[in-house]
Amino acid sequence: MATLTMRAQGRGGQSASAQPPKYEITVMPPGGPAPRLSDGHPDFTGHWFPNSAGQGVSGRFGVDPAAVRQFDPKVTPEERPAFQTWALEKIKSMTPTELELSKSSVNCMPRGVPAIWLQNPYTTYIVHKPGLMAQLYEVLNNWRIIRLDGRPLPKQPEPFFHGNSTARWEGDTLVVDSIGFDERTYIQPNGWFHSEDLHVTERYTRPSVNYLIVEITVDDPKVLQKPWKSAPRRWTLGNGEIYEFYCTNNKELEELEKLRQQELQGK
Amino acid sequence: MASAIALHATPAFAHHSFAAEWDATRCRDFTGTLTKVDWQNPHPYFYVDVKDEKGKVENWSFQAYSPVTLRRNGTDRQVFLDNVNKSVWVRGCLSKTGKPNAAAAGTLKFSDGVLRQVGQIQD
Repeated sequence: MATLTMRAQGRGGQSASAQPPKYEITVMPPGGPAPRLSDGHPDFTGHWFPNSAGQGVSGRFGVDPAAVRQFDPKVTPEERPAFQTWALEKIKSMTPTELELSKSSVNCMPRGVPAIWLQNPYTTYIVHKPGLMAQLYEVLNNWRIIRLDGRPLPKQPEPFFHGNSTARWEGDTLVVDSIGFDERTYIQPNGWFHSEDLHVTERYTRPSVNYLIVEITVDDPKVLQKPWKSAPRRWTLGNGEIYEFYCTNNKELEELEKLRQQELQGK
Repeated sequence: MASAIALHATPAFAHHSFAAEWDATRCRDFTGTLTKVDWQNPHPYFYVDVKDEKGKVENWSFQAYSPVTLRRNGTDRQVFLDNVNKSVWVRGCLSKTGKPNAAAAGTLKFSDGVLRQVGQIQD
């Protein structure tokens, strides 16, 4: 009970105190100019954390809420996806357990593109050279290679979790267009599925040494009434290791399947 | 008041829903002896011998955050191993399916008294 008492005091202390809170983990400053490759383009190489702290924040104490966020919705609000009626009805028909079972964080399926940039609490290590970007995802020990030579997209793409990509530079912004996605991926962990016509555009910038900004556009006319654009999401440069994460001991599926059966019997 | 603020741990975000599998209305304190830890992805499980009010000892399993998250918040595998056969206090919530002796861990204290966030807690 000691913890509960301490937590209650914490809440009371906050409201009673006029002093601003002092956090141990705060927003990482932008740092100096971004490094550049030998070809003159920005170098995106780095170990990137999906927050504004440049380090892990989950389950830690004394974290400034601003350091947890990838964007401030008051400054750059993110629009809601405008679903086609049939798509919204399909999403709403999912039971809570069906929704849970669809999440890659639960079923250990690869998140895929663009979800790896939209619903990923783990780090990404980017290795960037002229003509090539390797993205090494900590979650599920996954990786993706993007060629930067402007090669055309395939006319009959195989369905891949990360899609089939082509890239070009627009000034200091790397623009990656991708088509041909595995139908088992979800855009976000809220039931937002996609059609075979999904077209994803990723825009990467590195405005300073410590910040990587990723903006996603989802174009999928069968599912969406209009393309959806994410807020510019900030990833911050961190030190420390990228860890092994093979999902080999998932005990939750069995429990969720039991709950799913209970839901079905209750219908 | 920094210490008061510091008692609120930052939740793991963008992960799955705690409420889908665990019952936030049935959370309780557990005190017992840590018996072992299985350090695997996606979630480590640690096991605690808990004595009930009649003195009967039962071994409970507790699900925690992912190993990556635990390493980064300072509660790595070695911390658990160093505390095997020692006393532990856990705040945890029970399974929605009624699975016996299974809970999701939230906060935890080993014998050093340090409060650690080792999983989502919803009560």
